[in-house]
Amino acid sequence: MAAGFGSIRHKAWQTLSSIKTGVVLLILVVIVSALGTIVLQRPVTEADELQRAYSPQMLRIFDALGLTDVFHSWWFVALLVLVSLSIVAASVDRFPNAWRFFARPYKYPDESFRKTLRSQVQVAVPDQETGLRAFERALERIGFSSQRVERDGRSSIFSERHRISVMAVYIVHASLLLIFLGGIIDAMWGWRGFMSLNQGQQSNQIEMHDGAHRALPFAIRCDSAGQERYADGTPKKWWSKLAVVRDGQDVERKEIVVNDPLVYKGVRFYQASYGTTDKVDQLLLTAMPADGQGQARELTLEPNQAETLDADTTVQLAEFIPDYVVRDGQVYTRSKDVQNPAVRLVVASKKSGKQLNYWIPAIEGIADNAASPYRFDPKDLKMGYFTGLEVSHEPGQWGVWAGAVLMGIGLTLVFYISHVRIWAVPVQDAAGRPALWVGGIANRNRDAFEAHFEELRGKLSEELKEQRKLRFEAKDREPEELLAIAAK
Amino acid sequence: MARARVEQPTASGSTLISMVGLGIAFLLLMAFLNVVKTGSLLTDTNLLYAALIFYVGAATLDLGFGITGTESYLTFASYATWAGLAANTGAVAHRWYEAGHPPFASIYEMLLSFVWMLAVLTLVAEKKYGVKVIGTVTMPVAIVGVVLMQLLRTDVRPLVPALQSTWLHVHVTLAMLAYAACALSFALAMMFLIQDRLPTETFLAATSLATIGIYAGILTRFEKWGGLNVAAWNAEEKSEVFISRGVRLFVTIPDLGWLMLLVAFAVAAPFALYLLARAKKDERFLVLANRAVFLSILLQVLALLTFLLRTRNGQYASLDAEGLYATSLAASPFILSGLVGGIFTSLMYLLLLWRRADLERALPSAENLDRITYKTICIAFPLLTLMIAAGAYWANRTWGAYWSWDPKETWAAITWLVYAGYLHMRVTRGWRGRRAAYFAILGFMVVMFTFFGVTYLLPGLHAYA
Repeated sequence: MAAGFGSIRHKAWQTLSSIKTGVVLLILVVIVSALGTIVLQRPVTEADELQRAYSPQMLRIFDALGLTDVFHSWWFVALLVLVSLSIVAASVDRFPNAWRFFARPYKYPDESFRKTLRSQVQVAVPDQETGLRAFERALERIGFSSQRVERDGRSSIFSERHRISVMAVYIVHASLLLIFLGGIIDAMWGWRGFMSLNQGQQSNQIEMHDGAHRALPFAIRCDSAGQERYADGTPKKWWSKLAVVRDGQDVERKEIVVNDPLVYKGVRFYQASYGTTDKVDQLLLTAMPADGQGQARELTLEPNQAETLDADTTVQLAEFIPDYVVRDGQVYTRSKDVQNPAVRLVVASKKSGKQLNYWIPAIEGIADNAASPYRFDPKDLKMGYFTGLEVSHEPGQWGVWAGAVLMGIGLTLVFYISHVRIWAVPVQDAAGRPALWVGGIANRNRDAFEAHFEELRGKLSEELKEQRKLRFEAKDREPEELLAIAAK
Repeated sequence: MARARVEQPTASGSTLISMVGLGIAFLLLMAFLNVVKTGSLLTDTNLLYAALIFYVGAATLDLGFGITGTESYLTFASYATWAGLAANTGAVAHRWYEAGHPPFASIYEMLLSFVWMLAVLTLVAEKKYGVKVIGTVTMPVAIVGVVLMQLLRTDVRPLVPALQSTWLHVHVTLAMLAYAACALSFALAMMFLIQDRLPTETFLAATSLATIGIYAGILTRFEKWGGLNVAAWNAEEKSEVFISRGVRLFVTIPDLGWLMLLVAFAVAAPFALYLLARAKKDERFLVLANRAVFLSILLQVLALLTFLLRTRNGQYASLDAEGLYATSLAASPFILSGLVGGIFTSLMYLLLLWRRADLERALPSAENLDRITYKTICIAFPLLTLMIAAGAYWANRTWGAYWSWDPKETWAAITWLVYAGYLHMRVTRGWRGRRAAYFAILGFMVVMFTFFGVTYLLPGLHAYA
């Protein structure tokens, strides 16, 4: 029984780690995600658009299958997890071999291995040691370091470059897993929401995309917000000056723009939208004494702030109606759009304590404009701004970015760096004269390696020629030196 | 006898070269005289016009080689490409200088960069890898690109806030490079199949299927009672008409749908005849199929001309709004490039049918092409990876989410997976030759769908491109 279980486990492992399984899983991911782009997805589509596009039965079937929200369905996540497991299994299965290859390089090629190499050559040498030395120098000249391998009392040469290339595939796979891990962490613990702040307002409440609310342990205050436009009226820049408030104190301030968010304790605040509210921010007007004597003066009124006109009179912006309508002697607000605005000013006299309502425009039957000691002319109306902030918390994103960087490195190693190995072994040719066998191999980009090998071969024969010349010179010199010694 | 055969085309060769040379000189002179009057000489529009003239010259010489098999045409085609590239580089530089940002912000600017990239890659393929006839494929594409640009608005438009990011430029540059490399790998894979003695009738089936695909795409805009829906165009604003944010207004051109349907049948006929030939094992159907290709080209040209004429003039009704609206070629770049691409595909087939022996002589060996295809994908794949990563990083800075499964993103990931599959099959399973070539072709089809299909057929965030 135990053996049976063991074999099942073995089989399951084999299936999971096979390339075929991996490819099948990837094809499934491709098909399913392609479906997810063709069928309208609930999170990004309005409900009535879905109803227009599909018949109710269709929609019910799609919903039941999860096709209207493929990328958040449990089976899609399960598929991605299976892909990750398959990558892990495949890597674990093949890693020990690769590691052995990496950790214990093959330094002395035996005869059967030597025969299999495509790039190899055998050159005649005066003697074994001269040949090896000449080859070492030749390697040095093409920029390779070399090492002597002593085996059974015989010396040979091994040289290699970029052994890391063997492990590159695992770096790429590991980076992919890191990205998946980041994505999973974000799917589990990350969240996204929206926050709308009026100028000067402060809040820690976030409206989540599913309608729920979330409270932050700190608050955000919008000090000001605005936009710049190009000459043709298209928006150029939206900005908001934000402050992070914690325990009543400002701990951080930043002006954010569309591509530059505020980040505080892993929570990011993005400029998402911007607009005017139905509240007035400033009202610019001129005040002129009603009796026509004296100068007109400019005034800037802010809501509920009294402004002194003379020793006796003050004026206050008491009420702003963005879209007013009069019915039965009453003023009503029709909508929140600034379409037909009305303003009620309260003009007060300190001495008499009398207050009167000054309406702009003068609404008949309601306004006391005629009794006012001043006449007011509106010049400009500045509405309050709100800024819309997209708020997100993605604790796993560092995994994603680290994975992306690692993948860049891994792919560079995989595609542009090849593991090159070169061996030189002293042998004897058919006639029993000393010779040097030289061979090499690269794990990719073999054409480039062959060119390299040819260069190496050229350098080797140059070095050997040099050796021979030196030898002849030495031979020539010898008798002279002997004579010189004898002369002494 | 052999000597005579070699000499005879050479004589006619110098005729075509001098004709093309004179033509280029004449057009440049006319353009120069025209420009001198208006003042500024080196603007991107003028330089682009010069590039267009040279590219047309190169394409003519390339096609001349296709028809006569004269090798010297290719050399001069290469010179013309160099000259065109020089003018094109000037156009890109001028645009960059004037706009103050790299030219990737609008469709116009992206096409400008794409054509430039295409010319560079053509020369690289010619010089480094000895694929001399590559211009036959790439130059017509470059011409279509430049002609499309003439239809689009060229004034430098300010960037909306979401696009003001260095990461966007990085993202788009990488995308252009990656897609151009994918396009090159596709062309190389096709050439491999030619050198690998894939039967000509298989190419017949493939080209026919490609054109069927194009017309199927166009017919998604088929409207009841034979109309064809195209986006409405506001000539004064030089932009599409929008009903609401991001929703274009479509107008129906009457009867054009019927014509497109007819042409769709015409381009499907060669494929049907091919199937018949295979089923009945009768070569005569193939002869008929080749005639059908010829006929379908004529009909496709008719469809293109009708489309050109009907979109340029006339006011059309819409199902979604009252009144009559004008349209323009610029409003339907995808339909236009589909129509031109269809004609081009069929012409390429005829070229192969008539000049296969010459092509085989001019192309590198199958083994080399196989290897170069693989190398090109080895370049394309890391670029695709970095492109996706840069895009994700930009999205994260702009929208607060690095991945939101919008159709463009998803299809970019699918593209990536397909090429990853290619690499795994090649490295671990030792896929070489035809299977690898088919895989490379599949990869490029997915790229094309990501680039055109997603924008055209699927909704999403990538409204800018």
